Amino acid sequence: MQQLRRRVGVVVNGSLVGGLEMKLDEWYSVEDIRAGKFVVIEGEKSCFFCMVTDVRLDATNPQVLADPPSEEEDLMRQVLHGTATYGTVCLRPLLMTEKNELAEEHDEPHLVKTIPVHFSVVAEAEEEDVNRIFGSEDADSRYFHIGRPLDMETPICVDLEGFIERSNGIFGKTGTGKTFLTRLVLSGLIHKNRAVNLIYDMHSEYGWQATQETGNGRGSFVKGLKQLFGSKVSIFTLDPESARRRGVQSDFNVKIPYNQITVEDIASLSDELNLNPTAIESAYLIVNKFGREWLSTLLKQDPAEIKDFADHIGAHPESISALHRKLKRLENFNFLQERVADDAVYKILEFIDKGVHIVLEFGQQSSFLCYMLVSNILTRRLHDQYVMKTERYLSSGRPQDKPKQLIITIEEAHKFLNPMAARQTIFGTIAREMRKYFVSLLIVDQRPSSIDDEVMSQVGTRITALLSDEKDINAVLTGVSNASWLRSVLSSLDSKQQALLMGHAVPMPVVIRTRDYDSVFYTALGHVEGEELSQKAQSNIADLFGDR
Amino acid sequence: MEDTEIGEVIGSSNTELIAESSLLHNPPPFGSFIKVQAREPIYAVVFNAYTHSMEPNRLAIAYHRSEQELRDEQPQIFELLKTKFEAVIIGYEHEGTIRHHLPPQPPRLHSFVHTCHPMEVRRLTSHLKFFRFLLGVEKAPRAELIAGAIRAAYVVRDCERSFLVQAGKELVKLIGDDYEMLSSILQRIQD
Repeated sequence: MQQLRRRVGVVVNGSLVGGLEMKLDEWYSVEDIRAGKFVVIEGEKSCFFCMVTDVRLDATNPQVLADPPSEEEDLMRQVLHGTATYGTVCLRPLLMTEKNELAEEHDEPHLVKTIPVHFSVVAEAEEEDVNRIFGSEDADSRYFHIGRPLDMETPICVDLEGFIERSNGIFGKTGTGKTFLTRLVLSGLIHKNRAVNLIYDMHSEYGWQATQETGNGRGSFVKGLKQLFGSKVSIFTLDPESARRRGVQSDFNVKIPYNQITVEDIASLSDELNLNPTAIESAYLIVNKFGREWLSTLLKQDPAEIKDFADHIGAHPESISALHRKLKRLENFNFLQERVADDAVYKILEFIDKGVHIVLEFGQQSSFLCYMLVSNILTRRLHDQYVMKTERYLSSGRPQDKPKQLIITIEEAHKFLNPMAARQTIFGTIAREMRKYFVSLLIVDQRPSSIDDEVMSQVGTRITALLSDEKDINAVLTGVSNASWLRSVLSSLDSKQQALLMGHAVPMPVVIRTRDYDSVFYTALGHVEGEELSQKAQSNIADLFGDR
Repeated sequence: MEDTEIGEVIGSSNTELIAESSLLHNPPPFGSFIKVQAREPIYAVVFNAYTHSMEPNRLAIAYHRSEQELRDEQPQIFELLKTKFEAVIIGYEHEGTIRHHLPPQPPRLHSFVHTCHPMEVRRLTSHLKFFRFLLGVEKAPRAELIAGAIRAAYVVRDCERSFLVQAGKELVKLIGDDYEMLSSILQRIQD
């Protein structure tokens, strides 16, 4: 049964390319119309689902505007409201469905190819409409409730199947809730078990508890993924000391041997390390001589004997000396060691194969240099392993050989994916290759304009909190066709708990109030604690051993 | 009181009528609703009234007496005066429903004219399409006429403010391009 929708106005003007214009009904306040609101137009043969993009005040007679009624002229104001002066709302039709009631069950919303007839009635969208478009968690486990429309209480869901198929991005100015959005999305992925996550957690915010920056419980602690999902999530750390101080039980201390660092890894850090192209060439000369041990050999050299070393490998002494001086910084990183007992990459793969999600905490080692170095080294090797696994799967064709879909979350992504770095770092490759090898990225960034255009255009789903820089807004809309109208929506977002959702995982762009990350959310994810937890434990014991 | 006639039609056309008032100096108020009694009653709004000498060639002259003194001294002069009023037709009744358009035939001469009963005014003004007829009147100031008719209807509706707003909105549709006239009418009907 179709619910009776609340009328907003009638369509009076418009085009398919430019969008529609609606005259607002006089009893509907223009202040109740927000950019991003979701409305339904019932045309003659189809229903159109639209988003409000702009609101305008209009007058039939310019004289009214030249001589507006004073505050005392109450009657005049009332009379003019909705007649000579009225609100015009610009709408962007996004999806349409046939009105044929018999086919309703099977009729999937599809992209708009036409517009409704003159004076079609525009009404507020109802829960049923939203569910029909965005799916509902009850209907299918592929949907994950991420938030609600601006003025409704109906859940808006992302299609996680669509989400994991491509690389995705979460963007927003600092302080607009990127971390929070990311935590939400990751929770969804873990809860619905759609892909295995590897999170490079620069500021140690995802694994264990973190402080809440906004909302009711500002300053209080929110639960990390490990606390919510227990054994489904493992915490790896680069800085065991810091983990101990914060009371975090880490499952593995990541150590990286020097021989796993390649020149490419160093090259991609040339900005951070202040290396020039000659230094990189010299590094290759060392590799020619010493192979994988190049870095430890170089670092072991006594500065006094650098000249002999340079002569030995046939490089320019000054250049080798500079390289030596600059790479010496790497020795400060405790996690870089000559020899390590457990190979971090194999450990990660082992966990991934078991379907355990990994949060790699950087602890105190949160410099860009460290973050980029480690994530590059690990990801490059993981990617290689995944390529091999995929090839094995392709040759055998056996379902059990199919690698688990892996999503790698990186923060400050523009450092890895700027036009220079995107060609060098492995992340550029992953972003471009997409899902061929079952690895995709979740890019978290506050400066999308610095990310390579080519990478941006491949980003499947974009979840964008407020952006104010024109360049950033343009960048986020790269690769979205006919995007100019989204600009006004994007710049009118609230700075907290609001985001524009667009791309592969949602059938149409939509503005949401993001879901609260609170105890209700924890419960929805099956998290129990306190009294309930002990009861659950009791019932589990009873199930296991029978009632005693 | 509504049942006693207030005048008699002495001239009519499809759009207007002239009636002689039953009482001297006492025509129906400007802008009030009247009814020409017939099988199919015709409704009209008064837009003009005047009193003059019965004989066309004789003008009334000033006597510099009060009316009471005049009545005592020269009662005959009041017999020689007549009050007439003109009204614009705004609709008629056909088979029990009010039609907001012109009647097929003009009112018959010598039909009696009555004041509309408040219920009839309510029915007549449930649609405000008749403003268009009032706008067509040339012999009276239209803004005053419309304001008068609205006020008359407003009073029988127990001064419901929503009626004023509704009437105003109807006017915007008709004379939205004449903002000055619109605002002058609204000023006149405001409390």
